[in-house]
Amino acid sequence: MNMTMLEYEELEALIVKVREISGFDFSGYARPSLLRRASRFLNRHTMSLSDLMTHIEQGGKAVYDFIQELTVNYSEMFRDPDFFIKLRSEVFSYLESYPAVRIWVAGCASGEEAYSLAILLKETGMYNRALIYATDLSERVLASAREGVFGLGHMRTFSENYMLSGCKNSLSDYYHVAYSQAVMVPDLRKNIVFSLHDLTGDGVFNEFQMVSCRNVMIYFNLEQRQEVFRLLYESLAMFGFLCLGKRETLRYSGFEENFRIIDSHLNIYQKIR
Amino acid sequence: MENKDLPLELVLIGGSSGSFVIFEEILKLLDRPLSCAILFVLHRGKSSLFELPKLFRSKTQVRMEEPQHLDPIMKNCIYFAVPDYHLLVGPDERFYLDGTEKDFFSRPSLDATFISAAQSGIYIKAAMIFSGASEDGALGMKIIAERGFKTYVQNPTIAEVERMPAAAIRTHGKHHILTENVFEEIRSILYSYST
Repeated sequence: MNMTMLEYEELEALIVKVREISGFDFSGYARPSLLRRASRFLNRHTMSLSDLMTHIEQGGKAVYDFIQELTVNYSEMFRDPDFFIKLRSEVFSYLESYPAVRIWVAGCASGEEAYSLAILLKETGMYNRALIYATDLSERVLASAREGVFGLGHMRTFSENYMLSGCKNSLSDYYHVAYSQAVMVPDLRKNIVFSLHDLTGDGVFNEFQMVSCRNVMIYFNLEQRQEVFRLLYESLAMFGFLCLGKRETLRYSGFEENFRIIDSHLNIYQKIR
Repeated sequence: MENKDLPLELVLIGGSSGSFVIFEEILKLLDRPLSCAILFVLHRGKSSLFELPKLFRSKTQVRMEEPQHLDPIMKNCIYFAVPDYHLLVGPDERFYLDGTEKDFFSRPSLDATFISAAQSGIYIKAAMIFSGASEDGALGMKIIAERGFKTYVQNPTIAEVERMPAAAIRTHGKHHILTENVFEEIRSILYSYST
């Protein structure tokens, strides 16, 4: 078994090269995770570092494939079902009193979280006055998210999650099967806006009553993470809710004092100052 | 007793099915403060709710934690990898959680933690692997051994499930094999003074 294993100095050289060629800046990304992802990229494509450097220098598609694989977020619909139970009881019950609700799914990948929230909004009767902005830095994953197409193989896990989320129906009520794929019903996409946004470069673009940014903060190093927290904080309306991943807290964010803890296990917070 | 100027040292301990009871026994050995940090990686289902530090509370007085992203790695502390994330060790002596794909159907995986520790530049006092029904960890152990650190593998013939330690031995032939008086030996490793 011959594995290519990148070392940190090589990774730094790679980061510089990618920035020169594409303008995409990995500086704020957590190095240990990047090192793992970059090494896996090389092994999956049976490439050496110098092969990759050459491909990147030639420009074109290679650099974007590389960026894509290093930033892609694997998600599930109704990931962490207990989160959705809590969301309904603690957050949606509060947002119910609002005439209009804007929700931001920051780092939405292929749209799993956005569709899950759309379903939950439907089932709580709030969908028609809600707007979900789902953003990602990759146009490619956004295109797939807009289509709302998921492999049938994944639907089993998604359905199990759905059932554990305290929802009323069956997940299959929200998609139809075509060519061995699950296609989400168009009605669900009506109030979702998928658009390009890079959390490490782009700024505030609207004000939200809720931001879901689950399992995205673990991509960033300490300094970048603080900046992203600032962006999310500034994007939230007063008394708006911030939802982080199951193992992500406000620790080291610099904003610990600005939020009230709604649930310390599921990492749901409310902006209070 | 604890000298804050001494560099951080890590002990890595991994296992899967059949290793839970071994981890419990190892914790019972820890009756004095440690000069190192111990990282336990046990394969766990993603929805595994129980918190190992709570579950093992009665076994040792040494502090136990499930680390969060960016937590500094502390001496005299025992860490358990949380379910559904890989636990990586950074060169800045902090933990990093990672959501990349599973290794050998497992997240956390032993390989992810062990390889990141090997690459971090932090001194590894020992890496150990025990019973399990997967080949996860074999590569990480090999890389650690090749970088000159001490590695220990439970003798597959005494492991509840032999596949994991057997794979480690097959991948690299120079690990030290733990066969007799296993826990006495582990205790002396954990409380030894390095160089």
